[in-house]
Amino acid sequence: MLPLRDVQLRFFAAITRGGPVDAGLRAVVREHGTLDAAARIEIYADMYRARLVDVLREDFPRVCALLGDEAFSTVAGRYLACHPSSHPSVRHLGHRFAGHLATERLPQPFLADLAHLEWARVEVFDAPDPEPLRLADLAAIAPTDWPALTLRPIAACRVVSSAWPVHEIWAAAGDGDAGGTWPAAPTTVRVWREGWSVSHAAMGAVEGEAFGILRRGVPFAEVCAAAEAGREPDAAAREVGALLVRWLEDGLLARLPER
Amino acid sequence: MAIAVPYLGHGVGLRPPHFPRLWDGTAAVDWFEALAENFMIAGGRPLAALDRARAHAPVALHGVSLSIASTDPLDGAYLGRLRALAARVEPAWLSDHLCWSGVAGHYAHDLLPLPFTEEALRHVVGRVVAVQERLGRQILLENVSSYLTFEHSTLAEWEFLGTVAEQADCGILLDVNNVHVSAVNHGFAAERYLAGLPADRVAQIHLAGHTDMGAYLFDTHDGPVIDPVWDLYRVALRRFGRVSTLIEWDDHIPELDVVCAEADRARAIETELLSAVHAASA
Repeated sequence: MLPLRDVQLRFFAAITRGGPVDAGLRAVVREHGTLDAAARIEIYADMYRARLVDVLREDFPRVCALLGDEAFSTVAGRYLACHPSSHPSVRHLGHRFAGHLATERLPQPFLADLAHLEWARVEVFDAPDPEPLRLADLAAIAPTDWPALTLRPIAACRVVSSAWPVHEIWAAAGDGDAGGTWPAAPTTVRVWREGWSVSHAAMGAVEGEAFGILRRGVPFAEVCAAAEAGREPDAAAREVGALLVRWLEDGLLARLPER
Repeated sequence: MAIAVPYLGHGVGLRPPHFPRLWDGTAAVDWFEALAENFMIAGGRPLAALDRARAHAPVALHGVSLSIASTDPLDGAYLGRLRALAARVEPAWLSDHLCWSGVAGHYAHDLLPLPFTEEALRHVVGRVVAVQERLGRQILLENVSSYLTFEHSTLAEWEFLGTVAEQADCGILLDVNNVHVSAVNHGFAAERYLAGLPADRVAQIHLAGHTDMGAYLFDTHDGPVIDPVWDLYRVALRRFGRVSTLIEWDDHIPELDVVCAEADRARAIETELLSAVHAASA
């Protein structure tokens, strides 16, 4: 008689790793009707793979659209073999999928970055509800407090950097355009949620740098100083002001803590 | 001792395609069952929908990842999240499955079968007691559909489940569809299963559809309840009396009204059956 622990280890290996079923396990599975022990274990192996590939397909629909269903299923199977789920909630299954794609030989070089963008959208979807900073909140801040003021992005915000126009590829894949080649173009995309709606937008070089500095949690004066480097001060100040308004309108900045 | 839970009537699973009916206030249901793991999140639309559902009707939480029969240590972080969710929702009760879902730190995200042995019995009873202490409440355990059984089982599944419920002082969520599926797959009489359960432990019933794969039945929750399962539901009501009943529909999910029509059918069967029983005993 196999102890419970042994049964579970052998059973889990049989359904997740594939290949011939362990003889010790086969010996303790009752055969009934037309199904022998191996066929009964195979039902669970098929379910395991189908269910989890489906989860990945739902989380990475555009990667799936560009790869094609069959190739996606193959790649997802290899991912599951390399990275079996280690979290009780299946919601976290795909957290290493983009990194795994970077190790695969894929027909399109941007698929790993596209997966990063799709996963960022998954994370933002159920991140803490934003309490965005509004223009009126800033108007109440005394001018003398501005140099030390620290603005932070909302928790429901991610930034994805790519060597490809990954936001355009995302849009094209969503429109059913599975076209194969895109010119390389370094791109930084911010992903965020307003209410329940997930959005993303590419950032220009100045915005990307300024938002990157802001995300480090430094005083806003340092964001301004970085923007001024090597530039005409008035123009830099206007640009930072415009960025600040855009971030406020998009609900990207978190409400300031009560003082 | 019995399990003490309120009677809620005939409910439906809380599923994303039906969220708009929560916002427009047209989701007329007795109660909802919410899949606990789907709401162990920080924010967003699903959690808002759950709050809305809870404001509208009673909610029970139904987990799929407790992995009560696993030989891994209990996952304290998971139990902490479950307890926090229960504090937020104040569910009518909390349930999970008599199964294991993972081992050695990895999860299959499936409801896996176990041998019904004395060793497994001691193991599961101890885990249920520990979980109930950690959560500060009783839980219900549900029988799962299975596609294999073990040669070294010394107890029938219903004996195992009933004994766990008695010894650990927990309730039973009786999935009538799962009884039917497992009965066909393993060649036992479904009525025997129902007869073997301690009646005062059955606190909830699940009804769902399944798929006939030819060589076996597969628990797919992707269609209406079939007639043999409705018949078995009648047997369950005669044996257990009035029990809160829920329609599960998880794949190819139709309009809410279609799912509610199944709940209405369950209600009608209960009313008809229990009226007849009452008239006969008057």
